[in-house]
Amino acid sequence: MIVPLTTTKIGEQVRVSCLNCTSEDTCRLQELGCVEGATGTVVSNQKNIILQVGECRLAITHPLAMNILVEPVSKKKSSNL
Amino acid sequence: MSNQTINAQKEILRQPSTIALVGNPNTGKSTIFNALTGLRQKIANYPGITVERKMGTTIINGVLHKIIDLPGAYSLNHKKADERITYETLIGSYDHEEKPDLLLMVVDASNLERNLFLASQVMDLQIPMLMVLTMSDIADERGIRIQSQQLSNVWGVPVISINARSKKCDVQIKQALFEQGVATPKPFKWNPSKLLRQAVDRLDREWLSEHTQLPERARPIEALRLLAEGSLEDSFYQYSEEEKAKKLIEELQNTLEAQGENPTAVEVVQRYSFIGDSSEGSVTKEQRDEQTWTDRLDNVLTHRVAGPVIFVLVLLVMFQSIFSWATPFMDMIDMLFIEFGAFVGSSLPAGLLNSLLVDGIIAGFGGVVIFLPQIIFLFLFIYFLEGSGYMARAAFVMDGFMTKVGLHGRSVVPLMSGFACAIPGIMATRTIENWRDRLITIMILPFMACSARLPVYAVMISAFVPDKRIIGFLTLQGLVFFGLYLFGIVMAVGSAAVMKRIFPTGKPTPFLMELPSYKWPNISSVVIQSLERGKIFVTEAGKIIVAISIILWVLASFPTYEPTANDLADMDANRQISEQMLSTLQLNQSYAGTFGQWIEPAIEPLGFDWKIGIGLLTSFAAREVMVGTLNTIYSIEETEEQLGLIERLRGEIDPETGLPKYTLATALSLMIFFAIAMQCMSTLAIVKRETNSWKWPLIMFGYMTVLAYFSAWITYEWANTFLLG
Ligand SMILES: Nc1nc2c(ncn2[C@@H]2O[C@H](COP(=O)(O)OP(=O)(O)OP(=O)(O)O)[C@@H](O)[C@H]2O)c(=O)[nH]1
Ligand SMILES: [Mg+2]
Repeated sequence: MIVPLTTTKIGEQVRVSCLNCTSEDTCRLQELGCVEGATGTVVSNQKNIILQVGECRLAITHPLAMNILVEPVSKKKSSNL
Repeated sequence: MSNQTINAQKEILRQPSTIALVGNPNTGKSTIFNALTGLRQKIANYPGITVERKMGTTIINGVLHKIIDLPGAYSLNHKKADERITYETLIGSYDHEEKPDLLLMVVDASNLERNLFLASQVMDLQIPMLMVLTMSDIADERGIRIQSQQLSNVWGVPVISINARSKKCDVQIKQALFEQGVATPKPFKWNPSKLLRQAVDRLDREWLSEHTQLPERARPIEALRLLAEGSLEDSFYQYSEEEKAKKLIEELQNTLEAQGENPTAVEVVQRYSFIGDSSEGSVTKEQRDEQTWTDRLDNVLTHRVAGPVIFVLVLLVMFQSIFSWATPFMDMIDMLFIEFGAFVGSSLPAGLLNSLLVDGIIAGFGGVVIFLPQIIFLFLFIYFLEGSGYMARAAFVMDGFMTKVGLHGRSVVPLMSGFACAIPGIMATRTIENWRDRLITIMILPFMACSARLPVYAVMISAFVPDKRIIGFLTLQGLVFFGLYLFGIVMAVGSAAVMKRIFPTGKPTPFLMELPSYKWPNISSVVIQSLERGKIFVTEAGKIIVAISIILWVLASFPTYEPTANDLADMDANRQISEQMLSTLQLNQSYAGTFGQWIEPAIEPLGFDWKIGIGLLTSFAAREVMVGTLNTIYSIEETEEQLGLIERLRGEIDPETGLPKYTLATALSLMIFFAIAMQCMSTLAIVKRETNSWKWPLIMFGYMTVLAYFSAWITYEWANTFLLG
């Protein structure tokens, strides 16, 4: 199941499966470690997203996050917020 | 993983060489630079603090080497002005500057894989390097173990691991350079698709090798960048036959696109997968599931609603406290200068020199130095916030709002530095990707109330705003002070919104930023940097102020006034008052007075008299000079007792009406004028440099000055009618 990053929940583990944005934005995401196949944890999702990829915490705005398609890996319990 | 043999070179360090610090943003390059060179580059916990090349020197084993600190970059595929500087330095295409002989490849050990991406690209350039793993302390804390030897074998370069903040970091690096030397890495072999390889080759053959001076090893990288970005126009050079290149790139891009090829995708994926494989043997991480401090703080500070509210509160507390905490220190400095002036005045024989020293220089200089405590407090706050890692969050939570008004989340940090001074703020806009966002940010940045305005605000508020407590620690004076900062922000935002409509809209660049983990700021470096800024304030302001004070003193003391018979008769009646009258008459008919009265009609609608007018004129050299000027003018005009500037302003009587000359309305109007007007030559010069044309600084000067005049006028009328009427 592949969904936009914006529809994920806090604490969810996801695998980036497709960067569906302009080649420039794709390039910016990639060099920050957000490459296709990378796994990350959703730290915050309040319209804008904070995604932790490896040791790197990325702040991603809504319009960009909509174009990042991810695949949920395994449901972890939602952290208390 | 296949291991490489390291061909360490040690001889290279026997002769003077140029060593560049390269790495991702926020990895400790400037920290290392400072340790090696003893200089004080700005350091903060925010990606993108260094935005220019900075040179220093260091001695390794008796040989003097040049060290270059560079802006951080995430890849060689540069998109921003600061990253471009790094790129151009590395490929050696910087005009008039030597290219680095060797590199310190700075890699954040706590975020190894991401950092190695850039490293692997840089290795393609085959410059001898030593890999320096920083943040080893943080990696330890997080349970990340790195086998340096293993890493070194895989990448074919020597590796050391340090904590850049520790005192012995420079020694460690020098020792490593001396003992392990550096090695020339081998370029990474990746397999582009046939189509992509053909495109790269063609671009190299038909454009890069023929029409540019790029060294051969840099050409494939540049070709790939051009294919991904497609933009030549951002580069520093004007190439001949640029059109031809554009056409070629477009053609190649179309071919690639038709085949569904993303030019950078293959390269990036292969590099990352190599990095992933390579770290398998050399990096281990304990699994920890607990919430970190960074998680907890981020839950609150990046909250959709709470985040922006907290940001505004932080600003409120900052301005209130610089206003109230600094007061005792300011009183102390004030007293010192009055005492000092009196001492000099009484120990030198009365006469011209005495007057020049006491009324001109000491009064003018003292009038500005008194604001040193506020300036230092302001910098302490800003450096503390920047060092903590909060600023990246502020940028993130404010992005939505900023985008609406035509700015960008990345504008937040340049705008915040604008509170200190517009110049570093304008430089910091280099971290904004989109040219239009960057231009608008530059054009409105001088509205942010810089520290040079602080003296004027402080004098006017202390003199004319009643000192009342509102609630808790908030005072009316503090609130007006905050209001002025807020006013600057509102003006900035409003102007940006207007400019957004005027300037052509390009493709917006969505906000994407790495959030550094929170750190306890290095308190001693925060304090040292703030004191440093204080020193710069005093010396820079000092130079201008002393010069202007002397000129002003001359203009205000000559031609000397010859008392008439009438005056002398008055003097017999009451000695005390007449002497005061004489000095007033002297001032009024001096060059400064004559000129001031000549321009008075132009500024009268704003509620200013000629003395303020002279102050305004001098303030175009630097804003803070205004206060020094008023101080000098008022020292020449004597009073019965030694009074500070604030009392003098309050006590100034309009001879026609017999009422106080300056009122709250004057003060408000003057402050509004200062809040808006473009009175800083250095800012205009920087805008010229950053935008590469005189057009923008001229527009800036024009619109801000006109806006300032009319706003001050309206304020004066409004205040007279509603506040005092
Ligand atoms: N704990 C720890 N902190 C470090 C170390 N090195 C640097 N820092 C901190 O990391 C932050 C970034 O340091 P800088 O030296 O400004 O980094 P930079 O690479 O010059 O950053 P840019 O100029 O933005 O590219 C600062 O808060 C430093 O105090 C280290 O080895 N350990
Ligand atoms: Mg730096």
